[in-house]
Amino acid sequence: MRFLPRAALASLFDALRASGRRVVGPTRRDHAIVHDELESAEDLPIGWTDEQAPGRYRLRRRDDERAFGFVVGPHSWKRELFPPREPLYHATRRPDGKVGFSPIIPEPAPSALLGVRACDLAATQVQGRTFESAEFVEPRYAARRAASLVVAVNCTEPGALCFCASTGTGPRVGAGADLVLTERDDGFLVEAGSDEGAAILDALPTAPASDADVTWVDEAMAAATSAMGRQLDVEGLPGLLFGNLDHPRWAEVAARCLACGNCTNVCPTCFCSTTETPSDLDGQDATQVRLWDSCFTVEHGAMHGASVRPTTRDRYRQWLTHKLGAWVPQFGVSGCVGCGRCVAWCPVGIDLTEEVAAIREGAAAPVALPEPASRQPGVPDDLTPRVARVVDVVRETSDVVTLRLRLDGRVAHRPGQFHQLALPAIGEAPISVSGRADGRDLDDHLDHHFVDHTIRAVGGVTRALCALSPGDELGLRGPYGRPWPLDALRGRPVVVIAGGIGLAPLRETLRELLASPADYPDVRLFYGARTPDDALYLDELRAGTRPGFTLRVTVDHAPPTWRGEIGVVTRLLRGDAVPEGAACLMCGPEVMMRFSIEALRAAGIPDERIWITMERHMKCAAGFCGRCQYGPYFVCKDGPVFRLDEVALLFGRDGF
Amino acid sequence: MASDAPAPGATGRPRLAVYKLASCDGCQLTLLDCEDELLHIADRVHVAHFTEMTSLSDTSEPFDVTLVEGSVTTAEQREHVRHIRASTKLLVTIGACATAGGVQALRNWRDASEMLRVVYARPEYIDALATSTPISDHVKVDFELRGCPIDKRQLLELLTALLTGRKPAIRDESVCMECKRAGNVCVMVARDEPCLGPITHAGCGALCPSYDRGCYGCFGPHEAANARALGTWLREAGAPAAEVKRRLRLFTGWSPAFREESERHDEG
Repeated sequence: MRFLPRAALASLFDALRASGRRVVGPTRRDHAIVHDELESAEDLPIGWTDEQAPGRYRLRRRDDERAFGFVVGPHSWKRELFPPREPLYHATRRPDGKVGFSPIIPEPAPSALLGVRACDLAATQVQGRTFESAEFVEPRYAARRAASLVVAVNCTEPGALCFCASTGTGPRVGAGADLVLTERDDGFLVEAGSDEGAAILDALPTAPASDADVTWVDEAMAAATSAMGRQLDVEGLPGLLFGNLDHPRWAEVAARCLACGNCTNVCPTCFCSTTETPSDLDGQDATQVRLWDSCFTVEHGAMHGASVRPTTRDRYRQWLTHKLGAWVPQFGVSGCVGCGRCVAWCPVGIDLTEEVAAIREGAAAPVALPEPASRQPGVPDDLTPRVARVVDVVRETSDVVTLRLRLDGRVAHRPGQFHQLALPAIGEAPISVSGRADGRDLDDHLDHHFVDHTIRAVGGVTRALCALSPGDELGLRGPYGRPWPLDALRGRPVVVIAGGIGLAPLRETLRELLASPADYPDVRLFYGARTPDDALYLDELRAGTRPGFTLRVTVDHAPPTWRGEIGVVTRLLRGDAVPEGAACLMCGPEVMMRFSIEALRAAGIPDERIWITMERHMKCAAGFCGRCQYGPYFVCKDGPVFRLDEVALLFGRDGF
Repeated sequence: MASDAPAPGATGRPRLAVYKLASCDGCQLTLLDCEDELLHIADRVHVAHFTEMTSLSDTSEPFDVTLVEGSVTTAEQREHVRHIRASTKLLVTIGACATAGGVQALRNWRDASEMLRVVYARPEYIDALATSTPISDHVKVDFELRGCPIDKRQLLELLTALLTGRKPAIRDESVCMECKRAGNVCVMVARDEPCLGPITHAGCGALCPSYDRGCYGCFGPHEAANARALGTWLREAGAPAAEVKRRLRLFTGWSPAFREESERHDEG
């Protein structure tokens, strides 16, 4: 530890700039202390502090010249690392149907983040788990983080809304900072946390710190720990919140909540985003742009024109159960770092610590949540599609087509996984792979791989996909998601239950099951569709008959010529339709799955032998955008195939 | 919406019409304000009827898209809007008058006939309905563009989306979402400036708060607007009832969410 006299603070700026870095730090603007690029130490809010209360923030003159005599303002460092609006890729589409995609990856200038508090450093590390430490690595985020040097500041005067001592994220700066300052009247005690920090420290006109200085810092940190303005009892919180999803407090807070999204925007760990595809009028040149979204917007819960979280109660509960609960199984850490921003910047002063305390009052028993998944080091994903070409279009029903796409790369997916299909200026949609083929392309006489995607025209993107013709090009990225567990089915009777378009993600699996009678001697497909004309792949399935394969199809409505069953698919599950010891795969509308699960349980099939596909809107497909969250899971990477016992906690419950 | 969208290139350019009811013309002028893009739009769209732009009017065939500004304030307009609906595939209402009744809906809380007597020398010449109402009260509307006036970028996005066949990126979220993305400091939290941003539909780019003023709600409520919670908070923070009522009753005061809350603070 070294001592930097107050008068020498400018030397820190000189040293940071000498290393070629732009300095971003706190400055006073618009009645608040915000983050901006700083020219010199004089840009710091010297002699100012902030007073905070729920829904209230005020600047006030201090009676000293402290440079960091405040806590945290409306900006968090996520603005630097995860900008509110950011282009992801350029896309072009020419009148001849040719498309092109090129990623936009920034090359950020080296920067120094000055004045990072303990809670905010922890927040950066928490958010880093979303973008850098999960299955996929976001290269834009990673580039900016790698270009950032962290000059942190220990908090000696916590604010009225601070509770980092409760969340274990402060007030003392933890590992990960390059330099750590502790401010007192005569100057700064400085510690280096990295080689680069040490090199900068060497360039500063410091004196060695004394034992008394070291003790002073320890005592200041202990005093700060006991001076927190708020407290949050985090003990067992994830299980407690998910065990109290029907607590009356959710409705009470919803009556006060504006559903405006301010809390999520100021939160330094919230990462949810959406995309837009601005283009020229002809749709020939487009840019895929990512922007901050919030679980309080209707779009965040939108699926097929409805919302999975229609009420503010649903949305507040989603936010709090995610922030303080689901984050733990998702990322191994809580999403709250105790900075208090969501309390201060809520326009109507909703206090998260108060809400949690109220839920603890009269709480029902906690539930167990899944253990955090052990993560392999992630692979980079710049979210940019590659070009695929339509080689065949099969019209399956009045509103469903199968596109056969030629890929230049190898076919890497496994049955049950999906691709993001993209059209410039229109957007992207997640579509399950419904088949594969290897063969020779007549055009260039080369061996290629072909993948089939069966698509129902329900929205703008799927309608445009269904309108493609052979020769047209489109974008494709992936594969994504967890496949069907073929190995777990081996040797057992396999019951496959599908509804409507839900047969598409099961088609490849069915082909594999039917092709291996030794491994899968008894395969039963129970399939429900609206009408006979809406049933998929019937010719193929009927042609695929083999000993041990049972095919039963039912429809909601049928003309008199229909000789099959009429009624819901659960009618097919009666009697001895489901054999003892069976394993079951299921895909279809949620309500169909609910009733089918009841029938399977009644037939003695345990949840551990039932696999279902959950549908939520998968937007980025790589676990970055938060859109497809389902309690402790991301449907895009933890699903879409789930074993029923994994999701039994939430399955069938409204609002998730 | 996209299902009914004109297919560009299939049958020539989509036919566009622009009409107005009770309004100031400001919203339809936004189309002419698209200076850089206007010629491109004219290339891609056949402007079949738009009196602010051309005296030529081609009403021989149905329109693909019709933009209508203004509220319904007379029996004649009520008939007119039914005719417009019948003559277009897509009906897009534009602006606070068309989508919420406009500032002229302030009369909905008053005795209109008494105001006629006060204002006009010969009130018998005036044939007006007692209320000013949004077009969606009278006919089915396919899409709304909010604002007083509408936002040029949103209009361009709507037209581009129609032409390319995508869903328009017109987000039903609070002004706060745009304000926070812009990096603004909240005027309400930092200096007690009353602001309707938390309950107001985005689209303006958080214009007023970016200039250090509170939002006055000209885009009307967003889908989850909790006006009651904001009204309660403003009153508890010391705002008089009349002030809260006045804030809510402006260009979009007749929208159900704002109306209901303003009436809670109506002390006569």
